[in-house]
Parts: sequence; C-alpha cells; structure tokens
Amino acid sequence: MNRPTSTPPIKNLELKVGVLLVSTVLLAAGFVLYSLYARGAFHRTQSLTLIAPEAEGVSIGMPMTFSGFPIGEVKRMELGEDGKVRLEIAIPTKDARWLRENSVFTLEKSLVGGAKIKAHTANLADKPLAAGAARTLITGDATQEIPVLIERVKTILNNVADMTGKESHINQTLANIQNVTGRMTGEYGVMEGVLGGPEKAHQVVAALEKANTLLASLNGVSLKVDGVLAKTDSRVFGPEGVMDQAHQSIAKVNGILGDARESLKKADALLANAQSASADLPKITGNVRAATADMTQLRTEIDDSVRKVNHLINEMNKKWPFAREVEITTP
Amino acid sequence: MADAAQHLAFMAAQTAVARGEIALVSPEMPLRANLSVLDNIALIPQYRTNLTYDEAADQAWGLLVTAGYQDSHTKRDPDLSHAERCVAKLLRAVIGQPPIILIDRPAMLLPDTHYPPFLFALLEKLAEHLNNCEIVDYQWNQPLYDARHPPSIIE
Amino acid sequence: MAFVTHFFIRRGAAFLTTWRIWRDTLLFAGRAVLTACAPTAYNSATRTVVMKQIYFTAWQILPGFTLFAALLSYVLIQIVVTTAAKFGLSDYALEVTMRLLVLELLPLITALFVALRSSSAINTEIALMKINGEIEALESACVDTMRLEFMPRVIGGMISVLALTAVTSVLALVLAYLAVYGWQTWSLPDFSRVMGKVFDNAVLFGILLKSLTFGLAVTVIPVAEGMATPRKLFMAPISVLRGMVRLFFALMLIEVASLAFKYI
Repeated sequence: MNRPTSTPPIKNLELKVGVLLVSTVLLAAGFVLYSLYARGAFHRTQSLTLIAPEAEGVSIGMPMTFSGFPIGEVKRMELGEDGKVRLEIAIPTKDARWLRENSVFTLEKSLVGGAKIKAHTANLADKPLAAGAARTLITGDATQEIPVLIERVKTILNNVADMTGKESHINQTLANIQNVTGRMTGEYGVMEGVLGGPEKAHQVVAALEKANTLLASLNGVSLKVDGVLAKTDSRVFGPEGVMDQAHQSIAKVNGILGDARESLKKADALLANAQSASADLPKITGNVRAATADMTQLRTEIDDSVRKVNHLINEMNKKWPFAREVEITTP
Repeated sequence: MADAAQHLAFMAAQTAVARGEIALVSPEMPLRANLSVLDNIALIPQYRTNLTYDEAADQAWGLLVTAGYQDSHTKRDPDLSHAERCVAKLLRAVIGQPPIILIDRPAMLLPDTHYPPFLFALLEKLAEHLNNCEIVDYQWNQPLYDARHPPSIIE
Repeated sequence: MAFVTHFFIRRGAAFLTTWRIWRDTLLFAGRAVLTACAPTAYNSATRTVVMKQIYFTAWQILPGFTLFAALLSYVLIQIVVTTAAKFGLSDYALEVTMRLLVLELLPLITALFVALRSSSAINTEIALMKINGEIEALESACVDTMRLEFMPRVIGGMISVLALTAVTSVLALVLAYLAVYGWQTWSLPDFSRVMGKVFDNAVLFGILLKSLTFGLAVTVIPVAEGMATPRKLFMAPISVLRGMVRLFFALMLIEVASLAFKYI
C-alpha cells in the first residue's frame, strides 16, 4: 500500500522561498555593485591638485562643479610644507574634457550651506588639462567681507547720529531760525503803520513769508534726514558715501542759513526801529524814506537767500535718491 | 542503600535515553503538536540517518500500515484518540530501532481501554521491527495483565 | 533593618534574573550561529523548517509590507524634499532621504514589523512547547531541538529581515529618484554621485551588519525567552510579554548603537 501523496499545506513552498532568496541576493548584489559603480570604482580618473591658502569648509568627497554639474570630487587633502592646503581632486576621464590649460578654479563660501569648488573654462578650444596638473584655488568669501561692511555702516550711522543729535549744527540752526521768525510774526499791524502803506508792509511780509516757506522746506529736509536714518537702519547695504555728501551739503545749508540769519537780523533791527518809532509818531515821517530804502535792500537780500537755499535743496534732492520732489517757489 | 541504587539505575536509564539506546513511550513525552502523525514519526529517521523526507515518510507510512493506523496519518495531536496517540508515540520509538523500548505507565496513555491485550496485539504486529520492548506499570495494575504477558517492571 | 535587607535581596534577585536571561540569550545566539555555520546541521527536516519560517515571516507579508513601506517612504521623501527646497538646500535632499530611509528607518521598521508578527508567534510557540514538554520529548527521541526548531527559526528570521529590508530599501531608492528628478533617466549620473557619496564600504557593511543583528534579535530573544519559561501554563503570556519587551529594548539598543557608531 503506497503512501498517499497528500497536498502539502503550503503550495510551491520551495519555489516561493527560492524566488525570494534569489531576488534578495540579486537586489543586494545589484545594490552593492551600483554603489561601487557610483563611487567610481569602475571608471578611470585623473587627478588634479589644487593649492589653496586655506580650505575651511572643504571636506573629502566634496564635488567640484563645472557649470553647476559635478565633474569630480575631493579625494585627499593635506597641509603642505609651505602652510598651503593641497586638495587632490579625482576627475573621471570622460569629464576631464571640460578642463583646459587655462581653466580657473574657485572656492566659494556662502552664509548657508557648504563651500563649493567650481571650475571655469573660458575657452574650450584650448589644450586639455594634463593629468596630475597643479593649479591655484582662488578663494572668494562673501562672509569674510561682512565684518568690514558692518564697520563702514557703523561709521555712517555715527555721522547720521551726529547730524541729528540735540547739539548738532543743523538743529541749532533751525532753532535760531525759529527764534527769529517767532519774533517776526505778529508785528504786521505795527509794520503797516510804520511803513505808511499796506503795499510796502506787504512786501516785507511777503519776504518774511518766503522765509517761513524756506523754513518749512528746511523742516522737510530735516524730516528727510530722519527718514534716511530710518532707511539706513533697515537697509544696511545702501550705496555708500551718500551720507558724506549729505554732510557736506548740510554744511553748505549751515552757511546759507547763516546768511539768511544775517538778513533776518537786519529785519529784526528794522522792526525794532519801527517799534520805537510807533511811540514817537511825529518822527516817523522823517524816517520813512530811509526805512523804505532799507526795506528794498532787505528784500533783495532775502530773495537772494531763498534762491540759494532753493538751489541747495534741489541739489540735495538730486543726491538723495529716496527724496521726494520739493520745490520752493518765489511768489 | 536502596535509594542510592535506584538513583544510579535512574541515571543509567537517563544516559541510555540520551544515547538513543532506550526509547520512551510516555504520557510525558508528547508528540510535536504542529506536525501530523506521519511527520512526527518520519522526523526521527530524518534526523538520525539524514534521510530525505520522502524516504522517511515512506518508512513511517509502512509502520502505520503494519500497525493498522494509516487512517490517522494526517491528524495532528489534538485530533487524535488515545489509542491513535499511543500508537503514534510507539511508532516514533519503533522507527529509530533502539535496543530497548520502554512503555511508561500505559494506563495513562490508554485510560479508556483494557490496555494490556491492546498493547500486546500491537507489539505482535510490529514484532519484526522491535528489539526489546518493556512495559513499566504500577503494581496495582498487575491484575489487568494476562499471566502470559506480565508487565516487565513493577513500581 | 530587616526591611532594608529584604529590599536588597529582592533587588539582587531581580538583577540576577535579568542578567541570567540576557546571558542565556547571548549564549544561545552564539550557539545558534555556530550551528547554522556547520553544513552537517542541515537535513531535510531542518531545511523544511527554514523554508516554512521564511515563508511565514517574509513571503506572506511581502506584498502588504512593501506597499506600506512604499507609502511611508514616499511621504517622508516628499516631506524632506519640500522642506529642503524651502530652505534652499535641495542639493542635500536626496542625501538626507537616503540616509534617513535606507540607513535607518526601513531596517528598523522591518525589524519592528517582523518582531510584532513573527517574534510574538515564535515566543508563544516555544513557550508552549516548553510547557507541554515537547522539547524534552524531541530531545529524548534524539532529535536535536537546536537543529530542528531553533536554528532554522534564527536563520529564517535573519534571511527574512534581510530580504524585506533589501526589497523596501531598493523601492525607497527608486521612489526617491522619482520624487527628486521625476519620470526621466537623464539625472542618473547625479543620482549615482549622491549614492556613491552616501554608500561607502563602511556604510554598506554597516547596513548588512545591522540587518543581520536585527534578524538575530527578532528570533533569538523570543526563542531564549520561550525556553526560559517555567513549565506552568499560566506562565505562557508572561513569557511572551517579557520576550516582546526585551526584544523592543534590544532593537532600540542596536539602532542607537549603530547611530552612535556612525555619527559620533
């Protein structure tokens, strides 16, 4: 009696396990072979030695790119006898055609991410780079310039602070002008009386108004300075040197404002005269002629000052790229 | 002294079991639960003599047929009757052809059978595969045995 | 005073128990590996058990597990690639993906899955065999249980973990390529370069060693724990519980050790 061949509980057990085992071995072997291939175990390379003053951020296995494509990698790095770093780059022979005799090699570092070694070839028609050649690695480092840049920005900010501080020239000047105009306003009626006619008085008043407008513009200028300060704060990388020029311009403003002050002082004196005159009415008629002559001269002087300041403001507007159009018009 | 002698005998028996000289058929030696009766029996020649599964299974099948229990060959331990389980255990011992087979306390192997006639009939059928088979039983079970076939060892 | 003494005795006993089971596990692992290396250990029965073990541990779960691993890999790859692009570090996305998935996550997840499914089964089976006396029965019938029951499970477990890791890792690499470069083959050189950078000899050897250690742990620990079960039926669940906890601990220890070895 023969043993009945019962169907096994698992169908094709051997086949299934065999398939699994063979595929595992194939996958593992394929994986190992591919990673060997990927590491360049199967293609020939030529070496290139790059000499750099320092190699911070460079590591073994780092790629060297050409036009953004990796064409080789750092195989070895050592510190030479002369204190310079020698980087040995392995380049697959098929990629070596991108490198020529006159190729330039740079090491670039950025704030985020690692360093990058780049190869640049200007003329692909040159002789190909010989195997085992040695070249200098040019380092350009954006991060190294940052401290220098910050120093410069600091100086600029100090200047701005000096200009806008409480004791600064520009503020003192503006304070003076305010004093003068403070004294001038509110004396219209007296002037009219003193000058004997509304027309002459109007001339003086107009001149004063012009001075006022000028002051408003100057206030605008100081506001602009404030704005520039804010902008300089937020954008430290603005074009350099603008501030120095602005400083010079403001020195000029100081000069011109000095002139204006002189003119206004004269007006002040005149008004003082007028005040004393009002007390002594009979003397007025005698003085009126002289007063009008003074008035004409004064008007010319003030006009001149306004013109100068107007010109100056235009010039400053031209130099400060972020200023708005400001115009002082003569009535 | 008796204790020491018993102990020595026990040790000797253990060693013999370990060497494969004595095969035990015992309620404390269960079948492998996840294998069928046939596979349980075939396992022994697979190990002892490195037979292929088919060769070992053929041997086991032969024994099952001789014993008349071929119908139970696909069953696993929990599905077996007491008799079937006892036969499977016996055949597992027989297939290794040990010098001695000990059937330990058969009353526990076959609780609902008048076991001495059953066992001796079975052993009769398997006689050509057996070297020496002994039955170990309690003294109080002796009346169950036929005078021609007394149990070998009385405890 | 008596309390303190009692406390120390109890602590000491607990420590000794733990120490013994770990020592037994390691000894067992050594014996299993030695047995597996001997060609004479394999006979028709052993081979069948090895095949069944591989079938149950690897083949049965292959489709489902591969699908799950592919899904997980794809999601993680997308996360890494998008995040890297946001920070302008796209160059590193592929490398990070490879390191994250192939070197760490997939082997660990495979081991955990096999542990959850097969180790618990092995632990229960061995514990029940031990409680029933089947192991003694086999031994007394001159069947070497190491060769019949234990070593085949260890071999089967190791091969299964290796196979599942290999399949899912290769799949993850393919998915990573597709996620980073899309459906085209021109970027293969670029992909190869990153591959070459990540998978050097030490790393390849590391993956193999880690997968093998995982495979060893997911089988040796439950077998050793099952063997250590006292012959009382109510101890079976306790044995499985202990085995699983120890297995989880061991897997994490292996992972941490491999990470420490690689990155410290």
